[in-house]
This record gives sequence, C-alpha cells and structure tokens, in this order.
Amino acid sequence: MKIKHLFAAALALIIAGCGKPEAETPIIPEESDYIGTVTVIYQGAPFDNENIKVNFTPSDDAKTGSLTLHQIRFVPQMPVTIDVTIPDITLQSTTDKVVLSCERTIPLAMGGEYPRYTVTDLHGEIVGNELSFSLNFGDYPTSFKGVK
Amino acid sequence: MLAVLFISLLSVVSPVRDTLLVPATVTALKETVSPDKIASPVSIIRNTGLQRSSTYRPLMLSGMVPGLYIPEYGASLTSTIYLRGLGSRMENPVMGLYLDGFPVLDKNTFDFDWSGIRSATMLRGPQGTLYGRNSMGGVLSLQSLSPSDRPESSVYLEYGSSSSLRTGIVSAIGNSVISASYRHSNGFFLNGFKGEYCDPYDGLSAHWKWERPLNEKIHLSNSLWTSLSKEGGFAYGQLKDGVLHPVSYNDEGSYKRFSLMNGVNARWFSEAIVADASASIQLLSDNMRMDQDYTSDSVFTLQQRQMSCAGTMEFRLKRADSRAAWQPQTGVFALYKLNHMFAPVTFKQDGIQRLILDNANSHIPSEIGYLSIADSEFPVDSDFLIGGWNIALFHESVFTSGRWQFTGGLRLDCEGGRMDYDCLASLNYRFVPTMGSDKRFSVPYKGFAVHNAVELLPKLSVLYRTSKSVSLYTTISKGYRAGGFNTQIFSDILQNMTMNGLMKDLGVYLDRPIVSVSADDTEYAPESAWNFEAGSRIRRDDFRAELSAYYIAVRNQQLTVFPPGMSTGRMMTNAGLSRSLGAEAELEWTPGDFRTRAAWSWCDARFMRYNDGNNDYGGCRIPYVPQYTLHLSAGHSLKLGRCVLETDAFLHGEGPFWWNETNTVYEPFRLRLDSRIALVFDKVEIYIRGENLTDTPGRSFYFKSIGNEFFARIKPRTLFAGTSIKF
Repeated sequence: MKIKHLFAAALALIIAGCGKPEAETPIIPEESDYIGTVTVIYQGAPFDNENIKVNFTPSDDAKTGSLTLHQIRFVPQMPVTIDVTIPDITLQSTTDKVVLSCERTIPLAMGGEYPRYTVTDLHGEIVGNELSFSLNFGDYPTSFKGVK
Repeated sequence: MLAVLFISLLSVVSPVRDTLLVPATVTALKETVSPDKIASPVSIIRNTGLQRSSTYRPLMLSGMVPGLYIPEYGASLTSTIYLRGLGSRMENPVMGLYLDGFPVLDKNTFDFDWSGIRSATMLRGPQGTLYGRNSMGGVLSLQSLSPSDRPESSVYLEYGSSSSLRTGIVSAIGNSVISASYRHSNGFFLNGFKGEYCDPYDGLSAHWKWERPLNEKIHLSNSLWTSLSKEGGFAYGQLKDGVLHPVSYNDEGSYKRFSLMNGVNARWFSEAIVADASASIQLLSDNMRMDQDYTSDSVFTLQQRQMSCAGTMEFRLKRADSRAAWQPQTGVFALYKLNHMFAPVTFKQDGIQRLILDNANSHIPSEIGYLSIADSEFPVDSDFLIGGWNIALFHESVFTSGRWQFTGGLRLDCEGGRMDYDCLASLNYRFVPTMGSDKRFSVPYKGFAVHNAVELLPKLSVLYRTSKSVSLYTTISKGYRAGGFNTQIFSDILQNMTMNGLMKDLGVYLDRPIVSVSADDTEYAPESAWNFEAGSRIRRDDFRAELSAYYIAVRNQQLTVFPPGMSTGRMMTNAGLSRSLGAEAELEWTPGDFRTRAAWSWCDARFMRYNDGNNDYGGCRIPYVPQYTLHLSAGHSLKLGRCVLETDAFLHGEGPFWWNETNTVYEPFRLRLDSRIALVFDKVEIYIRGENLTDTPGRSFYFKSIGNEFFARIKPRTLFAGTSIKF
C-alpha cells in the first residue's frame, strides 16, 4: 500500500514538472519604514519636513494598509510634532509595484480619530525600496518621497 | 509598648549592691586628655545649668553653645543644625550627636526630650579624626547620670501655656539609673483653615543606664535610649504682599516616631593599655505626612515612612598611664545602616491642574486639543531600600613637653551605599477631542544606584600653657559630611517621566521636551571642610573663659539646587565652595551666690562658588546662618530660712538672617528673654518660668513652595509652673 502511494506522488511531481512556466506573481506588500521628506503646501509655498520616518503596514490579506507619519509638523508655527496614522488605504499589487489609493479617510492621531485633518485623494506607490505618495491633509496638499 | 519595655527593664535590674559601684570611668568624649587640654573650643553645660535653664532638648542648646543654631520649626524630624556657617536642611548633619559615647546616626532622631543628663559637652570645629563622618562642625556629647553619681531619685511636673505638661522621673536602682519623661502640648500655632492647632505634641522618652565592673580589669556599661512621639507640625504661614499670614493648610501635617538606641561598652584595663569595645544598635520607625503646598488648596501632599536599623562598632586602644608624655590612641570603627523608605507624593485636584495639566497644555496648540486627567489624585509612589556602610581606622597621639602639647592624628574613612528604588506613577488620561474615553497610563521605574568614597582626615594642633590657668592653642583639622542619595527628587523624576511618556503615548512631541535628571544623577559626594583655628582658654576657680577664631574652607559643598526642567523639585548636589570666618567667646563666672554665663559668636559665611542652575550666588551669604548668636544668663541664690530663692534670667539673641541665596529676604538681630524663679527646699523645688517673655515675633525658617513664600514663626510668650520632688 505504501509503495502504491509513493508511486502516485512521484507521478504527480513528474506531471507538474513537465507543465508550462508559471506567470510572474504580484509583489506581496511587506511592512517597512521609509525615511524621506514630507512636503506640505502651506499658504502656497512648500514646507519641508526632512528625515521623516513613514511606516507602511499592510493588512493580513494585503488588500489594505496604513501609513504612519512620525513626528510631522503641518505648519512651521506648530510647537509640537505629532504622529499621524492614515488607515484604510487600498493596496493593489502588480509585479513591479504596490499601488496605494484612498479617496477619503479620517486619520488617527493623539489617541483617536482626527477629522480636522481628514485625508483625501491619496495616491502613491511602492517601487523597489522607494515609497512615494501625495494626499490632502484637510486643506493642506502633502506629499512624501522616501526610501527604506 | 514602652510600659512593657520598662517593666522588662526593671525586672532585670540588679538589686542594690553599692559595693560594686565604682566612679564612672567611661567618658563620653574620646579624647585622651581632659577637656581643658583639648586644642579646640569646648563648651560644657552641667546638670544644674541644664535644669535652671529648663533645657531638655538638644535644640535648646542653641546659642548656649557659641555659634550653634538649631531652629525649631516643622516637626521633630527637621532638626536642622547650623554651626559655624555649616549646615543644610536636608540629609546628613554637620554635627555629630553622641549619647553616652555612642553616635546617633539618624538626624531624624536628634530632637528628643531627655532627663537624667549629667552634662552636655560640645566640641566645636571639625572633629573628624576621632569622630569621623558628620562631625565637621563639631560634636555634641550628652552624658547621662551614672549609678556611680548616686543621683537622688526625683519626680518632676510642669504645666503651662497651651496646656503644656511635662513630667518625668529619674531613679537610681542598684547599678542602674532609669529616667522617663512625658510631654504634651496642645500646640502654639492655629491652623486657620482647620480651626485647630497644627502643632500638638505628645511624646514619651525613656533612658536606662547600667554600669557594673565585672572584675578589677573589666568594666561593662549599657545605655538604652528610646522615645515615642506623635505630633502635628509644619506651622508655616504664607508671606503674601509683604504680610505674613497665619498658618492655613488643608491636608494632614503630622509626624509619628519611635526610636531606640542601645549601646554596650566594655572597658578593659591593664597596666599598660586601656581598651574600649563598644557597639550599638539603633532602630527608627517614623511616618511623616505633609501638606507640601501649605495652602488651603488641594495641590500636593507628601508622606515619608521609614523603617531603619543600624549598628555601630568601635574598638579603641590607649595608654593606661594618663600622665605619660605620649598619649596615643588607635581605633577602628564600623557602621552599617539599612533604611526602608516609602515616600509617595500625591498630586491632588488643584495640583493636577496647575502643576501638570497647565504645564503640559501650555505646550500644545489649542486647535490640536488638550490633555485631561479625570483622576482626583495622581499618586507618585517611591519605595527605597538604602544601605550604607562606613569603616574607619584612626590614630591620634598627644605629646606633652613642658608647657607644650602637640597633637597629631589621621583617620582613614571609607564609606559606601546602595539605593534600590522601585517607583510607580499611574494615572487615567484623555486627549480631547481625539480620545473618546480615559486611558490608563503607568510609568514604573526600578533600579539601583551606588556610591563610594574615601576620606583622609588629618589633624594637627599645638597647645601652650602660659600659666597654670591660661592656655593658647591652634589647630588645623579636616572633617567631612557623608554623601548619599537624593530620594526627594524621585517624585519629580517620575512626574516628568510620566509627562514625557504620556506625550509619546499620544504621539505628540514637544519642541522643548521636559528634561529631567535620572536616578543615576541622584548621588551626591561627601562634603569636606578644612578648619584653621586659634584660641585661648582661661580656667580659674570660679572663672572660665574661652575665645577662639576660625577660618573654614568648605569643598564639594552639599547644596540644594534646582535641576534643569524641574517644576517643584530640589536636590542635593556638590555644587559649591564656601568659606566661614568667625569668632566665638564664652565666659562663666560664679562669684559666691551669683552665677553668670555668656556665649557669643560672630560668623561671616559666604558662598565662594555656587550656581544652582538658575543663578550665580558667588559672594552671597549662606542662608539660614545667623551672623551672631548671643546667650547671656545671670542668676542668684538667696537663702531664706529653710529654702533658697533662685532667680535666673536668660537673654537669647540670634541674627541677622539672610533667608534666601540672593540675600534679598532679611531679618534683623532679635532678642528673647527667658526667666525662672524657684524656691528650693531640701527635697522639694517649686518654680515658675517663662520663655520668650518679650514675645519677640521672630522667624525660624523660610522657604518657597511652587512659587509661594513661607515663614515659620518662633514660639510666642509661654509661662510655666512646676515642681520637683526628691525621694
């Protein structure tokens, strides 16, 4: 009986090995930290937050993800920096990049939802070691470009 | 508990065996020469002088000993001692206190009631070579009555202002002398907020001394001191708009203390050598509660509960022939002390709002939101286990050649300590508007810190006798005050850690984060002082006089500073250099039935270098130190048939004071008059007496708490009547 089973398994392997080459699979998103510059358009002029760490965390099924911007300042006058998490970002993986998008979501900051800076029109992508995205934090157009 | 202790003591007292009693040979001082030949200023106040001046606590010796100032404020644990410009409110004292030759290690027990004291002897100036740590200002040695003094048994009772009651007994039984005293007072300062006196006192003290020669070569003695007290305190009034307001605070201010010290001494005599072996065990259990803002608002409170146990051992060898030209003395000393301290600071509603939330929210833009703490109390718990040790080896030789006497000594002192801390701050917070409900946040802080130090304490002195009754001396000596740990700063460390941690938990980062010291920075090193002194001494039958001048240079001065970022905390650090320049005089003249005594001191104590992190105080006078102390007493005994009328008056003066480091808060020199009139019969004495008869409105302490200024007042006029009966 054992010999019979071994034979069947070997046959299956041979058949599989003789099949057509498999198509390239989409990238599986992974949690990563990216360091780069966040630029906020404030009163029509760019305001750069340099060396900002952005954490990207996909969900278990890799269909959604979140971005956490650490110690960001929206306007130069802010006497504090804050951590802001953007949840519910839709992820779409291709073979060479992960596309991020979100029409509208309420970010999380200071222990809860922070509707004052509701995120709209988020578009971005992860290509290789690079993350870039743009969005509106309330009335402030914001963009980020950074590397792992 | 004390009653049980007493009964057990009485049960072990030997029956009267007068034949075994020998004159007391165990002197409280360690010097190999008599006090008249010590090359340092020496003040001796004997039993009768203590009784006539109604001196029954160490702090009452203020001014009676030139330069000694121990203000009465706070509670019994705040025995702050200033001597020759040395001293500080916190931690280790600058004066060593010895009871029957045993060192009292904990400053919290320095203020106690005594009875049955034979003499109070004060050696002024650093006595580090023989006495070691914490004697850089001097040593106060209290010697109790010995069985060999054959004291008459007596009871006494005194009643006076504020329902003050003081009663006690002294009794010699066999080889023992037992004394006990009880004191009560309703208090002298009314807490306007509570409508009751804030400083009531009830205290019980007891002492048992036992001496017995085992044989011709061995003499044993035991000395036990214990006290139990419960009191209020912290009679601090706020200075507002230049007016000193009455005491008015809402939270509890109290202090409870039990202390016990038992010392055993064995003296072995041989033809060539006298050896002293002594050991003591010291226990302290106390509990202090304090309204730390001293206002009627609910800002913050402090509790400090301690349970400490300490042991000392000393072995000394000296020459048996006290008339020999060379008098060497060599000894070793060791101590170990373990203290468990629980010291929580509790921020209450007003304190949470003003000291924490207002401070934190001032950094957060209002359009982002604000921090809210719903708790009515924010406890910052601090638990410490502090062990400390000291080992010393010392030698001192006195050479006498004709009229000259030379003294040289050296002490090697090694000390160390370890502090284990276990602290926790917990609160429930909410950030509005982003958080819908409260969130628990805790900051545990555990660890340990250690410190070690080695000190060499030399001494050189020369004494020259110009005649039989007059001598001149000069001395160079070094003393030091032990190092330690700042436990009182931990509440601030925890408070700042909580705020920083809470902000981080929120994901909010201040541009100027709250900086704080850490536990690693809480150690402070020993403070040392070099003393250069010259003096003269006259001893004649009924006339004694002593005049001395000194210069003291203090290094690594232990000073209270405001660490960066601290909102309420202060800590001891080795921040400065200072110097004291002074002169002291003491006269005693007892012609016939008259008696007079005068003690005077002048001290110019200044910072040479002191920057507390906010200001530079170089050149300023050291606060709390009176520039002058004065004590004048005059008395007369008049025979009236079968009794004697004793009349005594005592004038006390101290000041001027500079109460703060910038020397902007000043109080001029002040005088107080005490007096006593007694009718003394053979076995009975009846007296009336008064303290501060001039009702001088002086101040004894100044401090700032969260920006508010406070003063403690000296006690007002008080009157007493009493009696003592010998049996």
